[in-house]
Amino acid sequence: MTQDEVMVRRRRPPRTGTIRAGALVRKLVLIALVNGFAMFAMQRELALGETGALVATLAATLAINGVYLSRRVVPLKYLVPGTIFMLLFIVYPVAYTVYISFTNYGTGNLLTKDQAIERLVANSLSTDADGARFAITPLDDGDGTMSLFMIAEDGSLLLGDESGLSPLAGSDITRDGNRVVSVDGRRALNLGQASQRQDELLDLVVPADFGEIRVQTLKQATVAAFGLSYDAASDEIVDISTGTRYRPREGRYTSDTGEVLTPGFRAVVGPDNYNRVWSNSAIRDPFIRVFAWNFAFALLSVALSMALGLGIALTLHRSGLKGVKFYRSLLIIPYAVPSFLSALVWQGMLNRNFGIINRMFHLDINWLLDPWWARFSVVLVNIWLGFPYMFLVCTGALQSIPSDLMEAAQIDGASASQRFRKVTWPLLLITLAPLLIASFAFNFNNFNTVFLLTGGGPPVPGSQTPAGATDILITYTFRLAFEGGRGQDFGFAAAISVMIFFVVATISAISFRRTKAFENLA
Amino acid sequence: MSGHDPTPYRAKRMKPARWFREFGWRHLVMAAVVAFALFPVIVVISASFNPRGGIQSQKLIPSSLTLDNYRALTGDKNVPFYHWMRNTVVISGVAALANTFLSALAAYAFSRMRFRGRRGGLLAILLVQMFPITLLMVAIFLMMQNIGGIFPAVGLGTQMGLILVYMGGALGVNTWLMKGFFDTVPRSLDESALIDGATHWQTFWRIILPLAAPVLAVVAMLGFITAVNEYVLASVLLRDVNDFPLSVGLFRFIDNDFGAEWGPFAAGALLSAVPVVVLFQFLQRFIVSGLTAGAAKE
Repeated sequence: MTQDEVMVRRRRPPRTGTIRAGALVRKLVLIALVNGFAMFAMQRELALGETGALVATLAATLAINGVYLSRRVVPLKYLVPGTIFMLLFIVYPVAYTVYISFTNYGTGNLLTKDQAIERLVANSLSTDADGARFAITPLDDGDGTMSLFMIAEDGSLLLGDESGLSPLAGSDITRDGNRVVSVDGRRALNLGQASQRQDELLDLVVPADFGEIRVQTLKQATVAAFGLSYDAASDEIVDISTGTRYRPREGRYTSDTGEVLTPGFRAVVGPDNYNRVWSNSAIRDPFIRVFAWNFAFALLSVALSMALGLGIALTLHRSGLKGVKFYRSLLIIPYAVPSFLSALVWQGMLNRNFGIINRMFHLDINWLLDPWWARFSVVLVNIWLGFPYMFLVCTGALQSIPSDLMEAAQIDGASASQRFRKVTWPLLLITLAPLLIASFAFNFNNFNTVFLLTGGGPPVPGSQTPAGATDILITYTFRLAFEGGRGQDFGFAAAISVMIFFVVATISAISFRRTKAFENLA
Repeated sequence: MSGHDPTPYRAKRMKPARWFREFGWRHLVMAAVVAFALFPVIVVISASFNPRGGIQSQKLIPSSLTLDNYRALTGDKNVPFYHWMRNTVVISGVAALANTFLSALAAYAFSRMRFRGRRGGLLAILLVQMFPITLLMVAIFLMMQNIGGIFPAVGLGTQMGLILVYMGGALGVNTWLMKGFFDTVPRSLDESALIDGATHWQTFWRIILPLAAPVLAVVAMLGFITAVNEYVLASVLLRDVNDFPLSVGLFRFIDNDFGAEWGPFAAGALLSAVPVVVLFQFLQRFIVSGLTAGAAKE
């Protein structure tokens, strides 16, 4: 431990005793604001039954209070804000991605199991053409709610309200001549009054064990019966008319004969998404093609933009050359323009029919829709985007090579090409290797160039997933998850994300070893 | 310097053939390179001032200069270009400032304090950095959908939600960069402040941050440019055309209709690129020296 560190250590905790009252008040107000906001958030989470979010909010709030009200843990006071965001928007999503990759989450399986059961049962409600009908008289309960006086087809008298049906005796009904005045103390509405409250009446559902009774007209109600019922004890859905039982299997209620009920629900399906990549050739072949192209794209982009950048750096690396600064300020422009704009501009320039490149050079090349030309275009544009950076980096690296090395080589009789191969290049490689690896990792997931130029297309024929000729893994993931067409497949997209994690982790591990980042942790 | 020229002095008037062998070809190569580098830029500038018409009618040198495309872009009711521009500035600006601040806080702790888990924390930041938010789009989309169910104000379809997501990447390479800079600020400065009775917060706020202003500015501007370029999450999380930043807005605008909207698109591209390029020219000095420092390491 150095002298400095000892001094800092001894002085810890710092003298918070001298903190000014104003600062203290400000701090307390901030904490009170955070707590107030957290209370509001937790209230909502509790009301909505979001236990996970509730626990997370509670933990974060307790951590904030603990850290900022204590006089100790000074480092944490500075680390907590950034860390909370990192946990929430990177660490948690990483874990969540892994979880989703083991589920069938996607079109057809978007709902939770409870939501799906509710939806299935609710959707099975139908009014039977020959179902029971009731003659009704709407009643005002006196407390703002409504109920129905109902006469069944067999002549029995019933009172129906939100809680259900109850039988009535003839003595419960007060009549004025033919007209019903009140039932069981509730005032009967005439047609005019009833029509004014039509919306309320149509919303009124009287539950019965054989289905639901709903108002059809102001004078009639009918039974709507459920076709399905949920049996909570066995976790089965039963078709009431046929008695068929549907059991939950991989996110769908499925009968023994293989009939499925839609919608399904999201469920953990194990390594299915990973298996799909290997077992189904209509998915596997395009996937392997995307994977291979991803590597080729990143390698070509880095190697070629490096070659061009180095070539330019060597061209300008000549003492006495005029205009170097001028060239540099021009070459930096492609690097400075936001890359999403550049990609879109290139898309327009490479357009087959209208693009200026075909017109200016009198070509008829299908730059963006022929598979190989599209790949060529994506790499070309990526070189255009990347070579200024490589040029700047190479210039810096060249200048850091001691000139006496070159002079010594020259005196020893090395030719220009020997000097480059034996002196310049090895030295450059040492300094540039970490940057090249970082650049490879960046281009491996270079979404903007590919997606904004070709959208991943042109499509590969005969593929079951939306894989295109220029798709790299990250654009492929995006299309699986968010591009309509064949539906959203979050589970499969997440599985591919996890595979990208491994590739990126491998690249990073190599680069860590090379840059020896661990040694800089003084 | 390169040792290509062993003669102790250069003749003032070189013979043309020798001049070409030594210097001339370099200018020829650079002319070709500059043409390649600037071709799209020239195309866009020219297209934006071309008379109104489709992409087919564009000539590299416009037959006449007009502002029709600019008027068409800003006058189109269905294309809220100014909204997009403002959204880009607000979203990227707020995210960049917040991230710089969060990162500076952490860098101060890592630079000035010794505590258990410090080394682990620095490594964790590097590790987490491996997962850029783009890779997490599926999880973040579904998560924001859930959050929107509880708090609509920050959920799916809100700019606030997008900014919060961008803030997830606050701790990263930038924290290392700032820690490195803070390390070069002499300890004696904060120690004398502490002896004078300043709190650690006052030391950070009044002494370290002002000294680090140039680095903070560079980090903030780089963060701004990164956010301006971000397409994936903005397109996934935002729904309303009036909420889009330029990246999503201009893409949707031109992707439908390259043939007809090329001119107005070029005008929009130019208007959007100019501020960033100007910003970049300010940054150039820092970026070049930063890159060189990185390249010269080891």
